Amino acid sequence: MGAYAMTMSLTEDQRDCYQEITNVAMGQAADRLARLLNVYVILPIPKVNMISASELHMALAGTTVSDNVSAVCQGFIGSGIAGEALLVFNDASFSDLAQLMNYKGPLDRHGELELLMDVSSVLIGACIHGLGEQIEVSFNQGHPVVLGQHCHVDDLVKSGNHQWSQTLAIEIHYEIEDVNISCDLLLLFTEDSVAKINQQVDYLLD
Amino acid sequence: MTKPGAEFGEMHWLMDVLQSIDVGLVILDRDYKIQLWNSFMENHSGLCPDDVHDKPLFESFTDIPETWFRQKAEPVFELKTRTFTIWEQRPYLFKFKNSRPITGRSSTMYQNSSIMPLESIDGTVNHICLIIYDVTDIAVNQKDLTNANGHLAYLSQIDNLTELLNREFWEKEFKREHKRCIRTSTPCSLVMFDIDNFKTINNNHGHQAGDEVIRTLASMVRQTARETDICGRYGGEEFSILLVDTDATAATNFTERLRKKVAGLVVNIEEHEIQFTISAGIAEYSKKFEKPSLWLEAAEKALTHAKNNGRNKTTVYQSKE
Repeated sequence: MGAYAMTMSLTEDQRDCYQEITNVAMGQAADRLARLLNVYVILPIPKVNMISASELHMALAGTTVSDNVSAVCQGFIGSGIAGEALLVFNDASFSDLAQLMNYKGPLDRHGELELLMDVSSVLIGACIHGLGEQIEVSFNQGHPVVLGQHCHVDDLVKSGNHQWSQTLAIEIHYEIEDVNISCDLLLLFTEDSVAKINQQVDYLLD
Repeated sequence: MTKPGAEFGEMHWLMDVLQSIDVGLVILDRDYKIQLWNSFMENHSGLCPDDVHDKPLFESFTDIPETWFRQKAEPVFELKTRTFTIWEQRPYLFKFKNSRPITGRSSTMYQNSSIMPLESIDGTVNHICLIIYDVTDIAVNQKDLTNANGHLAYLSQIDNLTELLNREFWEKEFKREHKRCIRTSTPCSLVMFDIDNFKTINNNHGHQAGDEVIRTLASMVRQTARETDICGRYGGEEFSILLVDTDATAATNFTERLRKKVAGLVVNIEEHEIQFTISAGIAEYSKKFEKPSLWLEAAEKALTHAKNNGRNKTTVYQSKE
C-alpha cells in the first residue's frame, strides 16, 4: 500500500515502524538525560496517533495528572518534514528536578524557567536528532518558546485558529526512577509532512 | 578558473557572510577561550578579534555568570546536543546597547542564544559555537503586551469613580469567599450599606456634588477597612464590604465606627457644606446560606430594616429560628 493513498491515516506496519523509530530516538534522549542527571530514566512505549486539532487538547490533558503545568515548544524542519516538539512538565516535578540538576538558586518562577530550559534543550534536542538520524533527515531546530508556566493544560495551546486539521502525534512519557519527576514529550508533525515521513518509513519497511 | 580556485572563491564568500551576518558568532574551545569573533560581536562590543582572541570568555566579559553559562555549555561538549537560552531567563549574555539607540525603548539589547557543538574530524567535540540573536523588539513588544493586559485586567475590576471593586468583580470575589466559608469554620461577615436620602443630595446640590459625596465615602471606606477586606461599589450609592475572619459583633463595631465617622463628616463643594449619613445591614455567614444570593438577601433585609427604623443605623440580620 502506497504512502500517497494513506496520507491521513496510518497502516499497522507504519505505526509499528514509527513506534520503533521513536523508541530508539527517545532511548538516546533518555540516555543523555540519564548522563546529565546521573539517574535511571524509565521509558514506556510511545503512543503514535493521527489526531485532529480538537483532539490535541485532549492529548495534552491526558498527559499530566495535575492541572498545573509548565511547557516549552520548539519547531523543527528538514527535507520537507516539519513539526513541533512540546515538552510538558508537571509543576510538582520542579523541587526534585532542582535537586537532581544541582540547582542552587531559589526555586521561584525564574528558577523553574532555568530548569525547564535546561531539560528541554537536552530532551528535545536529543529526540529530534535521534529521529532524524533514523529517517536520514538532518533537522533544523528553531528557538524554544515558553508556552506557559503554572498554567492549566487547556491554556497551553490556544484553540480556534489552527492552520491544520490533522497532525501525526507521538507521545512519550518520561519518568525518573525513585523521584517525583514526570514529563511528557509530544512530537507533532504537520499534515503535509506525514506523506513524506510515510515515504521514508515505507522505505525502511521494505 | 581552476577548481581549487572556485572552491577558494566560495570559501571567501562564506567567510564574508559569517563576518557580516546580523547575528553574533563566537567559537569557544574546551577552556572557554574565544577562537572566533565575527563583526557583529566586534561592532557591538567595541572589541576587535585581536583583543579577545584566545582569552577566556569570562575574563573579557565579567557580566556573564560563569557557573550559569557552564551549565548551558557543558551538555553541548559532553552530550553533543544543542542548548538554548531565551531572554526571559536572562535579558542578555553580552551587555550590548540597543541596535536602535535613538528610537528604541530599551537601553540594552535583549538576546536569545543558542550553543551548538562543533565536531572535530575524530568525532569529539572540542569547540562550541555560540550564536547571539538580537530579539530586542520581540522582548519590548512582549513586555508592552503583558503590561497592557495587566492594565486591562485592572480596568475591568475597578469602579472608576470610587476606585473600589466594581460590582461584577466584587460578586466574583464574594462567590469565592462563599465557597471558602462552606469549607472552613472561620467566621465572615457581609456588610451592605448605602447613603441616606441620596436623591435629595443630588437634587439640592447637583450630580457633581453627589459624585463627590460618593468619592469621599469610598475613601473613608478604604481608610477604615483592612487590606484583606473586600470592598466594592455595589450600585449607584450602595456599597458592599466582605469582612473576612470577622463575626457579627466585630462587624458591628467596624460598621458603627464607619457610620459615626461619616455622620461627623462635612463635604465642602464650592459654597455648599454637605452632611450625610449611611444605613447598614450586616449578615454573618451561616450554614443555611447555601447559595451566595441567600447571604446577600439577608444583608439586604437587614439594610432595609435599618432604613425603615429611622436611617443612620446599623442592623444585624437575625435568623428567624
